[in-house]
Amino acid sequence: MSSLLEVQGVSVTFDGFRAINNLSFQIGMPEMRAVIGPNGAGKTTFMDIVTGKTRPDTGSVRWGDLGHSLLSMSEAQIAQAGIGRKFQRPTVFEDQSVQDNLRVALKKPRGPIAAILDRTTDTDRARISEIAGEIGLADHLSTRAGILSHGQKQWLEIGMLLAQDPKLLLVDEPAAGMTTEEREHTTALLKRLAETHAVVVVEHDMEFVRRLDCRVTVLHEGAVLAEGSLEHVMADGRVVDVYLGR
Amino acid sequence: MSIFTQNRSVRIFIGILVLFTLGVTVMSEAYGTGAISVSFTKVLGMTLCLCLAALAMDLVWGYCGILSLGHFAFFGLGGYGIGMWLMTARTEAVVRANLAGGVIPPTEAEVSQATALQIFSVVGAEDWPWMWAASDSLFLSLVLIVAVPGLLALVFGWLAFRSRVTGVYLSILTQAMTLALSLYLFQNDTGLRGNNGLSGLQNIPGAEAIGQDRISIWFFWASAVALGLAYVAAAWLISSKFGNIIRGIRDDEQRVRFLGYRVESYKLFVFTLTGILCGIAGALYYPQAGIINPDEIAPIASIYLAVWVAIGGRGRLYGAVIGAAVVSLLSTYFTGGRAPDIALGAFRIEWVDWWPVLLGLGFVLVTLFAPKGLGGLVDYVVRKDRA
Ligand SMILES: Nc1ncnc2c1ncn2[C@@H]1O[C@H](COP(=O)(O)OP(=O)(O)O)[C@@H](O)[C@H]1O
Ligand SMILES: [Mg+2]
Repeated sequence: MSSLLEVQGVSVTFDGFRAINNLSFQIGMPEMRAVIGPNGAGKTTFMDIVTGKTRPDTGSVRWGDLGHSLLSMSEAQIAQAGIGRKFQRPTVFEDQSVQDNLRVALKKPRGPIAAILDRTTDTDRARISEIAGEIGLADHLSTRAGILSHGQKQWLEIGMLLAQDPKLLLVDEPAAGMTTEEREHTTALLKRLAETHAVVVVEHDMEFVRRLDCRVTVLHEGAVLAEGSLEHVMADGRVVDVYLGR
Repeated sequence: MSIFTQNRSVRIFIGILVLFTLGVTVMSEAYGTGAISVSFTKVLGMTLCLCLAALAMDLVWGYCGILSLGHFAFFGLGGYGIGMWLMTARTEAVVRANLAGGVIPPTEAEVSQATALQIFSVVGAEDWPWMWAASDSLFLSLVLIVAVPGLLALVFGWLAFRSRVTGVYLSILTQAMTLALSLYLFQNDTGLRGNNGLSGLQNIPGAEAIGQDRISIWFFWASAVALGLAYVAAAWLISSKFGNIIRGIRDDEQRVRFLGYRVESYKLFVFTLTGILCGIAGALYYPQAGIINPDEIAPIASIYLAVWVAIGGRGRLYGAVIGAAVVSLLSTYFTGGRAPDIALGAFRIEWVDWWPVLLGLGFVLVTLFAPKGLGGLVDYVVRKDRA
C-alpha cells in the first residue's frame, strides 16, 4: 500500500491561535480512516488544508505516487487531481434540482466551453439515476435541493461526491441529521467505497465510528493524539481525558 | 432548435417581440399609418437596445452573481466605435462635396486633412488621433465594436477575478472603471472630442437620400433582431450545464471550486461575453440617439442598468427585459416633458426633478413587495392561469 496523501509537520495559525499544530497524517489507497476529536480539535481545518481552502504556515502536503505538493495548487486543481469533499454543513446548490446538482458534480471535463457544449449522454443519465438510487433520492430527481430535509441534503452531497468519482474522499460529519437507518446505510456505503478509494471520515458519533471498523486518528488541539484501532485509542488514558473531561 | 421546443418563455418572448415589431412597423411613418412618429420610433428602438444591455446585466449579475456596476462603459465603447465610423464617413462626404466645386480635384490627403480639421477643430486639433485609424473602414469598425469592449472586459475581469475580488469590492472597482473611462473621455486631447462627444450619428453614410423615417425603422428592426438573437442565445447558454455552474457560482462559489471548476474562468467568460453584448447594444443605440458624449458612461448609468434588472427581476431573462423597457420608457415619459406637471398651490411637481424620487420609491416598493421583481409577477399570473 503506497501512500496517497501525506501530510507532514503542518501548522496553521489564525490570529495567533494555533488551530493545527505540527500535524502529520498519512493515508493510502484503498483505506478507510476515521478522524475523531472534540469540537475545535482542528478536524475541519485539516480538511481545509488538504483541499486548498486554507494554506498552512509550515509543513508539506503531498499527493499521489509522484508526491506532488498540493500547496501550490488551486482548490479546483486539487479537486481535479482527485480529492472530493463533503462539508460539515451540507452545501448543495439549493436553487437547483437534485438532478442538476448531480450533473454538475459528474466527472467530466471542467472547462467553460466543455460545459456549454455538454450534452447529458445515456451513460450520464444512467450514472445519475444509479447514484440517485444509492442515496435514496431516485424519486426526487427534479425536486429543488433547497426543499430537501437536512438528512436528504447530506445524502445529496454524498451523491455529488460519488458523481465526482475522486480517489480520496474527505467526509466531514456525514451522519449529522440522519436517522439510525440512514446512518447504517451511510456506513455501508462508505465501507463499500473504501474498498476501492481512500476515505477519511470525521465523525463524533462513536457508534458510527465503531461500525466503520477502521483505523482511527484522534486529533486534539490541532495535533494527532493517538492512532490505531478504536479499542486501542480508547484504551489510551489521554484520549479518555480529552473526551470525558478536563 | 431545441431551445424553442423546450423553453416556453423563449417562445412567448420571441412571439411578443415579433408582434411588437410588426405593430410598430404598421404604425410607422415609413411603412404604415404614421401613428408612431419618427422620434418615437427611435425611442422604441433605443429601448430595445437598453433591453439588450439589461439582458447582459442579468446574465452577469442575475445568473453569475457578479454585481458589475460598470457595464455601461462597454455600451458606451460600442457607441464610440460606431460613432467614429459614422462621423468620419459622413464628414468626408460633406468635405468632398464642398471641395468638388474647385478647379483642381482635391487629393486624397487633402480630403483626409480637411475631414480631420472639420471633426477635431472643436477641440483645437487638426490631425487624426491614433484611435481613429480604423474609422474609415466599416468592417474594421464593426470588429472594434466587439473587440474593444471585449478586451477591456477581459483584462479588467482577469485582474479582478484572479485576485478573487468579489461582492461590494468588485462593484466599487467596476464603478471606478467606468468613472475613469468617462473622465478620460472628457479630456479634450484624448482624441474623442472631449465633452463634445460624437454627433450627427443619425446620418448614415451612403443613405443621404433616404429619409429618417425609413432609417429609424430599419434601426428599430436591427435592434429587435439583436435582442431576439441575444435572448435565444442567452436562454440556450443558461439551459446548458454552463448555466447550472454559473448559478452555482452565484450561490456558493467555493462549493463550485471544490467540484474542480475554475470559477475565475467562468466569471471571466461571462463578464467578457456580456461586455461584448453591451458593446453591440451601444453600437445600435447611438445611431438612433444621434449623439454620444462621456456623460453617457458616467457611473450612474451603470447603476441604472442594475436598477432596471432588479426591478424587472434578476435571474430570469424576461425580467431584465421588462425592467429595462418599463423603467426606461417611464423615464423618457417623465423626463422628456411629456408628463404634465402638477400644480399644488404654491408648490409645483415638476416631473423632471421628481422622476428620480419616483424611481427610487418604485425600487424600494419592488424590493419590499415583489422581491422577484416585475418578472416575478409575470410568473405569478401565468401560474394562476394554469391552475
Ligand atoms: N477561518 C478561521 N478563522 C479563525 N479561527 C478558525 C478558523 N477556522 C477554524 N478556526 C478555529 O480553529 C479551531 C479548529 O476548528 P475546526 O477545524 O473547525 O474544528 P473541528 O472541525 O475539529 O470541530 C477552532 O478553535 C476554530 O475556532
Ligand atoms: Mg468541524
